[in-house]
Amino acid sequence: MTWGARQSGGQFAQVIEMEGKKNCVGWRLANLAILGFLAVACIDILTGLEHWPFGSYPMYSLLYSEQRSWLRLYGVTDRGEILLRGERDFAPFDEARLVMALERLESAHGGKQKLDEALRNLMRLYDRRHAHSVPLRALRLYAVRWVLRPGFEGPQPPQERILVAQATRDDAEAGP
Amino acid sequence: MMVRNWQRYWLTPATAEHLALVRAIGYGLLFLIYLPLDDRGWTQVSPVFWMPISAFRFLSGPPGNAALIGVLQILWKISLLTSAIGLVSRASMATAAALGFFLLGLPNCFGKIHHLDGFPVLLLTILALSRCSDALTVDGALRSNREMRRGRQARTGASWQYRWPVRLAQTLFLLVFFAAGYAKLRNGGLAWMTAANMRSIWLGELLTHTPPTALGGLLAKSTWLSQFAAVATVIVELSALPALFVRRLRVLTLVGLFAMQVFIALMLGVYFTPHLVGYALFLPWERYYGFLWPLSRPPLAPCFPWWSPSTTRRPISNRFSQR
Repeated sequence: MTWGARQSGGQFAQVIEMEGKKNCVGWRLANLAILGFLAVACIDILTGLEHWPFGSYPMYSLLYSEQRSWLRLYGVTDRGEILLRGERDFAPFDEARLVMALERLESAHGGKQKLDEALRNLMRLYDRRHAHSVPLRALRLYAVRWVLRPGFEGPQPPQERILVAQATRDDAEAGP
Repeated sequence: MMVRNWQRYWLTPATAEHLALVRAIGYGLLFLIYLPLDDRGWTQVSPVFWMPISAFRFLSGPPGNAALIGVLQILWKISLLTSAIGLVSRASMATAAALGFFLLGLPNCFGKIHHLDGFPVLLLTILALSRCSDALTVDGALRSNREMRRGRQARTGASWQYRWPVRLAQTLFLLVFFAAGYAKLRNGGLAWMTAANMRSIWLGELLTHTPPTALGGLLAKSTWLSQFAAVATVIVELSALPALFVRRLRVLTLVGLFAMQVFIALMLGVYFTPHLVGYALFLPWERYYGFLWPLSRPPLAPCFPWWSPSTTRRPISNRFSQR
């Protein structure tokens, strides 16, 4: 509310009333729209549900321990394994979305088959991005673990690595 | 009393130009921000990754036609531009909202919802429902030329219809941050506000993002700074709710939120660029517009006695008539 609106409350009410009468349906629709938007926004905030484009915005809201487990993709080349990253190697995925998607597939019903199919598809996405470089012989998904202590810089190798799934070039070419 | 407060909050009369400027700035910014958007890549992703959200559950599967997506995103970007300048306004704004919902929502159906794009879609929807094309449009200029030839002159007055869309968009923008603060307390409790948790977030992001600076790793070495950042984050985010009603707090909160998002970009490499349009909603565009074009414009709205009393300049709507 403006300073002036406070000074002339009666006049304000009159104008509002006059305007409202002029366009009664529009007035009701505007109030309905306001209430509708606020209701969905508040429901999502209070319940933690997501109704796109509304949301509960839970990013970074959990408690994070010093030990961080994560999934990571490595490509197998003639020279050994190389670390692959979402945006660079598997566009349109970014790293956060890709890892989350793989985690959800891993924990889903029939997770093994889904992960195999996902890796075959990721290998094709990699090939599209790197059409002129040496093709991968295989794609491996590892569960990796780091201890996050001050001085940690990100690119350093994980403390622990467990193979979760793998797709070879033959799989990728034969798969759907 | 409650009804009167409700009306004062949402429906205080504003000029058509006030909302029109928000339209031009909002659509213009969104056009620039989303110009590089390209969703065609999602047509190459296997259906195994398809995890639809919201209304996308009604689709039978992920879209497979890259050409169609390409056409839709060109249409969307054109509609953002034409909405900004007010050309074929109603159709442009409806198209921008519908295609924005689809194109910005589509990537979220592949494993993870990124919360950057939700607010722009809400803003597009609100503007499409509003009368933001009543002033400062190419349509209006063409129409008034025709009407002047017929001896009539189009006029837009101040009305409650020009206030609620901006107010609602501002409210939803601030609620985004309140929701984030509330989620931290709901999911993590007070323990979220510890130095150890903040440090783990900062260092953990180095696994998924490539920040432009080494600030995250540097600040994580200080327990005191980590602790301060954790507490300040929650306080600033929660202050977004009272900031809806207290104007002075609103300024402080917006500055705090903006600074926080700049730090997140520098430290973690997470860029909340689409939120720029939300901050832009709070700037006094009408005043800037008045400075730029002070005298050469025709009157567009009648004068309200309480309008803009704190400024030394008269409202742009009645400046012409009092000259």
